Amino acid sequence: MTASAISLPHGDGHDHHGPDAHGHDAHGHGAGHGHVHLQYQPGLPLSRGKLIMWLFLSTEIMFFAALLGSYVVLRFGAPAWPLPHHVHLSEPIGAFNTFVLICSSVTIVLALEAARANKSELAKIWMLATLLLGTLFLGVKAYEYSAKFSHGIYPWSPRSRVYEKPDLYYGSAVRARLGEPAMIDQLKTLDDTPEGSLSAEQRTGRERLRQIRTMITNPDQQPFDLAVVADQVMPLASGGGHGHGSGLNDVFPWLRLPAVIPGGNMWASTYFLLTGFHAIHVVVGLIVFTILLLYKLDRRTSGMIENAGLYWHFVDLVWIFLFPLLYLF
Amino acid sequence: MGNRWSGMFWSLLFLAVPVLGVATFAVAPSYDIWLPKDVSEHGRSIDSLFYFILGLTGIVFIVTEVLVFWFLWKYDGARTKAPATFIHGSHALEVVWTIIPAATLLFLAIYQMNTWADVKMRRPRIAPTVEVVARQFEWRLRYPGRDGELGTPDDIFLVNDLHVPVDEDILVQLKSMDVLHSFFLPNLRIKQDAVPGMKIPVWFKATEIGQYDIVCAELCGWGHYKMKGRITVESREDFDRWLAEMEARQEATQPEADATAAEVAAVP
Amino acid sequence: MSTVQAPHAPSSPAVVTPRTGQSLSTFLSTYVFSKDHKVIGLQFLFSTLLWFLIGGLLALAVRWQIAWPWSQVPVLGKLFAQEGGQMSPEFYTMLFTMHATVMIFLVIIPILAGAFGNFLIPLMIGADDMAFPTLNMLSYWFMWPAFIAFGASFFVEGGAASSGWTSYPPLTTNVASSPGSGWGQTLWLLGLTLVGVSSMLGSVNYMTTIILMRAPGMTMFRLPMTIWAMFITAILQAFALPVLTAAGFMQLTDRLLGTGFFTPEGNVVNNLATSTGGGHPLLWQHLFWFYSHPAVYIMILPAMGMVSDILTTFARKPLFGYRPMVYSIAGIAGLGFIVWGHHMFISGMNPALGITFMVSTMMIALPSAVKTFNWLGTLWGGRIQFTTAMLFAVSFVSMFIIGGLSGIFMAATPVDIFIHDTYFIVAHFHYVLFAGTAMGVWAGIYYWFPKMFGRLMNETWGKVHFFLTFLFLNGTFFTMHILGAVGFPRRLADAYHYETFHHLQPLNAFMTWCAIGMVATQIIFAVNFVWSMFYGPVAGRNPWNANTLEWTAPSPPGHGNFDFQPVVHRGPYEFSVPGCEKDHLMQTDPPDAHSAALAAAH
Ligand code: HEA
Ligand code: HEA
Ligand code: CUA
Ligand SMILES: [Cu+2]
Repeated sequence: MTASAISLPHGDGHDHHGPDAHGHDAHGHGAGHGHVHLQYQPGLPLSRGKLIMWLFLSTEIMFFAALLGSYVVLRFGAPAWPLPHHVHLSEPIGAFNTFVLICSSVTIVLALEAARANKSELAKIWMLATLLLGTLFLGVKAYEYSAKFSHGIYPWSPRSRVYEKPDLYYGSAVRARLGEPAMIDQLKTLDDTPEGSLSAEQRTGRERLRQIRTMITNPDQQPFDLAVVADQVMPLASGGGHGHGSGLNDVFPWLRLPAVIPGGNMWASTYFLLTGFHAIHVVVGLIVFTILLLYKLDRRTSGMIENAGLYWHFVDLVWIFLFPLLYLF
Repeated sequence: MGNRWSGMFWSLLFLAVPVLGVATFAVAPSYDIWLPKDVSEHGRSIDSLFYFILGLTGIVFIVTEVLVFWFLWKYDGARTKAPATFIHGSHALEVVWTIIPAATLLFLAIYQMNTWADVKMRRPRIAPTVEVVARQFEWRLRYPGRDGELGTPDDIFLVNDLHVPVDEDILVQLKSMDVLHSFFLPNLRIKQDAVPGMKIPVWFKATEIGQYDIVCAELCGWGHYKMKGRITVESREDFDRWLAEMEARQEATQPEADATAAEVAAVP
Repeated sequence: MSTVQAPHAPSSPAVVTPRTGQSLSTFLSTYVFSKDHKVIGLQFLFSTLLWFLIGGLLALAVRWQIAWPWSQVPVLGKLFAQEGGQMSPEFYTMLFTMHATVMIFLVIIPILAGAFGNFLIPLMIGADDMAFPTLNMLSYWFMWPAFIAFGASFFVEGGAASSGWTSYPPLTTNVASSPGSGWGQTLWLLGLTLVGVSSMLGSVNYMTTIILMRAPGMTMFRLPMTIWAMFITAILQAFALPVLTAAGFMQLTDRLLGTGFFTPEGNVVNNLATSTGGGHPLLWQHLFWFYSHPAVYIMILPAMGMVSDILTTFARKPLFGYRPMVYSIAGIAGLGFIVWGHHMFISGMNPALGITFMVSTMMIALPSAVKTFNWLGTLWGGRIQFTTAMLFAVSFVSMFIIGGLSGIFMAATPVDIFIHDTYFIVAHFHYVLFAGTAMGVWAGIYYWFPKMFGRLMNETWGKVHFFLTFLFLNGTFFTMHILGAVGFPRRLADAYHYETFHHLQPLNAFMTWCAIGMVATQIIFAVNFVWSMFYGPVAGRNPWNANTLEWTAPSPPGHGNFDFQPVVHRGPYEFSVPGCEKDHLMQTDPPDAHSAALAAAH
C-alpha cells in the first residue's frame, strides 16, 4: 500500500463555509461541542452548491427525457396526429416565446457578471429583467392556453369538445350544443340580424349554419352528413394550410361547436403535459428570482445567482426542444 | 473466537443448501410437482432448454455452494492455526472467471434464439383458426364459420370452451376488450399477454388429444383467479363435428348470439 | 502546506451531548427534526423496521389465503376481511399489492439508502455530516406523507391499491375496471411520488458528499465497498427515478383528468366504452421497468457493499479483487439501464426487441459472477470468525447465488414463456430481495449496531435468530421454484380449481407454516434489538477490530462524528498484514505503523 504522508489541499479544506453552502448548518460555531473542524479532499474543483445543482439538473434531464420519449412514442404510434394549425398553435407566437426565453437566459448571465463585478445595482436590474421576461413568457403561455380552451381543447376529456371522428357521439354533441337555451337565443338573434350588418363571411357562415341545423336534426342523417358538419365547423381537409380561420367556430366565436380533430385529444394530452411541466419549472425559477431580489446581489451572493442561472438555462434548453417538436413538426 | 464445534455446525448448515436444494428438485417430479405434461410441438425445445439451464445452473450452484461450505469448514478461525493469507486478488483468476461465464452465457443466448423465433417470430402463413378476445373475466372465442374468414356473418361465437384439431398448425388471434390478460396454456407451453388495442398472433401445434386448462396469467382485476377456460384437442373429424354442432346451436339462438357478435366485433 | 498526523484515537468518547436542561425544543431538534445524519439514519431505520413488520404481516395474510383459500383468517380476518372472517378476492389483490409496495418502497429502498446510507456515508469517508444536512432532514420527512398515503389507503372507500406493485394500466387507469379502485390507486401514486422525492433528495446529497467530503488521503480507490455501492446506487436513483416520477404523473392524470396516455382507443370496460383513448398500455410498462429494473439493483448493491465489508472483517483478510469489485458494481449499474425489457418478453412487445433484451440480460449476470467469485476468494484462506453478522453475510452470498441463477432461467426468453408470472418468478425475487438483501441488512444491523448505539447485540440470540430465519426462509421460498415449474401462477387468490394445480395445496400449506415460523422468529430479533440498545455490553470504538474510518470514532459518535482529524493512509481492507503485530491496520493508522512493527521484529 502506498503509505506516504498526506499533504492537504491548499487551505480550501474549509470551503463549505463559502457562499454556496447555506444549506449547510454551520454547526460547531460556538456550540460548545468542541469537535474538530474536519478537512477534506474534494474530488472535483466545484463548490457543494454547484455540484448538487448539476446533479439535480441531471435528474431533471431524465424527467423531461421520459416525457419527451413518451411524446415521441405516442405521436408516432397514433393513427392520426393534427397539424399545428388544426389545434390553433401559432408558430410566430411560439417563436416569440422562444426569443423571450433566450433573452432571459442572456439577462441572467448579465446579472451574474454584474454581481461578480460587485455592481449590485446593475445586477438587480438584470435580475429584474430576467424576472419580467420569465413572466412575459408565462403570460404568452397563458394566452395560448386560453386560446386552446376557447376552442374546446382541454387536456382532460369531460370538458374537451374535440372528437376523434364524426360519429354518432359527435352528432349528438353538436345537437346538444345547438339545443342549449342560451344558444337558441343567440341563433335567433343571428337569424334576425339584417343582411346588411353582416360581413360577406358571416353571411355565408349563417347560410352554412342553417344547413347544419337542419341536417343535424334530421332523424335519418348519415355518417356522411356528420363529416360535412365537422368540416364546416372546422375544416381540416381543405388544404393549403389556410383552412383555419374559415370554420364556423371562427366566424362566430360564440358558437363553440364540438370539432373533429383526429388525434386531437392525445395531442392535447401531450401538449399540456409537456408545456405544463415546463411552465411549472418556469414558475419555480421566477420564485427563485424573486427571492434573490431580496438579497444584495454582489460577489458574495454570486454563487446563488450562478446556480439559479444554471437552472434557468436548463429550463430554457427544455423549451428549445419543445418548441420545434410541438410547433414545427 | 467461538469453539471448534460452532464453526463446523455453521459450515454444515451451508452444506445443507446444495444438498437439500438438489434433493428438492430430485424428489419433486415423483410427487408430480414438475413441468406439466407437454402436448405441443415446440414445447419440447422449451423444455429441453429448461433442462439444459437447470443442468448448467445446477452445476454452478453445487460448485459455488460447496465452495462456501468448504472455505468455512477449512478456514474456520477457531480450528486453523495458519494465519490468514495476505492477498489482494489475482489478475489471472479474474480473467478466467470473467471469460468462462461470459462464454457460457453468450452460448446460451445464441443457443436459445432459434426456439424463441419459432414460438414468437416465425408465424405460419395461414388464416387465423380462431380469435380469442379476453375480457373481465372470460375468454370469448370466435371461429370463422364455413367461409374460413373472420368477421363474416357466419362466425361462430363461444365462451371459455376452445377446441382445436390435433396435429395441425393453429393460429390464434389474441385481443383484449378491456384490460391486460394473459393467455396461458400450461400444457402447450404458450403464454401471451392480451393487450387492448393490439392484435397479437399466437400459434402452436397440439400433439395429443385431451382436455387442458386455459389460465389467465396477468392480473386483470378481482376475478383474475377465476378467469378459466378449457382447451379441447381432438381429431379433425371430432373437431368438424363439434363446430357444425355449435353452428347449429348458434342458429337456434340467433338474437343472443348477435348481441355477443356485435360486442366482440367492435373490439379494435 | 502542512502534514497532518492522525493522533491515536482516545479511548473515551470526547464528544458528549449535553444532558442537562433539555427542554422540549432541544429534544425536538435533537431527536425529531435533527439534521444530524446519524439521527436521520436511525429515524429511517426505526421507521423501516416498523414497516418491515407490517409488510411481513401482510405477507402472512397472503400466504394464509394461498394455503387455505377462503378459510377464516385468524386475527387479521377480524380487522379487514369480509363476512365470516373470510377474505374476498379483491382483498387478496390488495394484500399482495401493498405487501410488495411496503416491502420495496417503505422497507428495502429506504433501509439501504436512508438508514445505512445516511448513517455510514459521512462516518466511513471521514466527514462530519452530509453536504446538505437540511436537505437530508427533508428527505426523511418526505417519507412521512408517503407513509400516511400508503397507510391511509387501506381505510379509504374501495380499499388500497389492488393492481400489483407494477400497477399496469388500463386496470389502474380505468376506474371502472376494478370496482374498488377509487382513492386507493391514487394514494398509491401519490405515495410513490413522495418516496421518489425523498430518494431524489437523498441521492444528490450522497453523491455530493462522497465526491467533495472525503478525508485527506481517502482517494476513491480507498473507499470501502459500502461507500462505492452507496455512491453508484445514488447515481442509479438519480437517473432512473425521474422516469418513474414522470410516468406516475401521467398515470395520475389518466386517472384524475381523463387523459389517455395508457388507454388504447375503443376500450370497453364493464360494457362501458371509455371516452378517452389513443394511448398505449405498453408505454407504461416500458417507463415503469426503465425505473424498476435499475431499482432492483438499487435494492441489492448497497447490501453487496455492506456484505463485502463484513466478509473481509470476519475472514480477517483483504477483499479479494477490490478493483474488479468496484468495476462490477459499475457494470451492473450501467447494464441495468438496458435490460428492462426482460420483464416484458410476453407482453406483446416486438419479439425481436425481446432478443436484444435477452442478450443484455445474460450479460448482466457477468459482473454478478465476478462479485460472487471474489466473495468466495475472500473467504478462501481466511481465519473465519462465525459472528452473527458474518453468518448473515455468508448467507447473503449463498442465497444470492440461488436468486441470481434463477434469473438465468427467466432471461432465457423461450423458458420465460412458460415461467413468466408463475411462482418461479416469486421464488427468484424473494431470493434476491429477502434471502439476499434482507439478510444483508441483518448482517449490517448486527455489525454496525455497536456503532449506532454503543452497545453490542446478544450474539447467542443473534445466532438463534439467524438459524431459524435461514431455515424458514428456505422452506418458504425454495419450494416456490418447483411450484413455478408446474406453472403455478402468481397473483391468484385461488388456483386449485385448475386441474393443473389442484394437487399443490399441501405444498403451499407447508410453505405457509414456514412463513409463519419466519415471522415469529423475528420476535427474537426485535427483543434482542430493543434489549441490547439499553442493556447490551458496551462496545468501545472498534469491537470487531475492523479497519474503516467509522471504527475510529466514538461509539456512538457525537455531533460532528470525529474527535480528531482522520487522515487516511491505506485501503480499507488491510487485514493480517504479514509481520504486523495486530492483525489489522486501520485506514488511519500512521504510515509507519507497519514498518515499525517490522523493525521491532528484527
Ligand atoms: C434485488 C433484486 C433483484 C436482482 C439482483 C435481480 C437479478 C436478476 N434478475 Fe430479477 N427480478 C427482481 C429482482 C431482482 N432481480 C424482481 C423483484 C422481479 C419481479 C418483478 C415483478 O414482476 O414483480 C424480477 C424479475 C426478473 C425477470 C422477469 C421475469 C418475468 O417476469 O418473467 C427476469 C428476466 O430475465 C430477471 C432476471 C434477472 C437476472 C438475469 C438477474 C441477474 O442480475 C442475476 C445475476 C446473478 C447470478 C447469475 C448469480 C451469480 C453468478 C454466478 C455464480 C456465475 C456463474 C453463472 C452462470 C454462468 C450462469 N428478473
Ligand atoms: C423486499 C421485498 C420483499 C420482501 C422482504 C418480501 C417478503 C415476503 N414475501 Fe413477498 N413479495 C414482494 C417483495 C417482498 N416480499 C414483491 C415485490 C411481490 C410481488 C407482488 C406483486 O405481485 O405485485 C411479493 C409477493 C409475494 C407473494 C406472492 C403473492 C402472489 O403473487 O399471489 C408471496 C406469497 O407467498 C410473498 C410472500 C412473502 C413472505 C412470506 C415474505 C417473508 O419473507 C416476510 C418475512 C417478514 C418478516 C420476517 C418481518 C420481519 C420484521 C422485522 C424484522 C421487524 C422487527 C421489528 C422491530 C425491531 C421493531 N410475497
Ligand atoms: Cu384475465 Cu387475469
Ligand atoms: Cu429486471
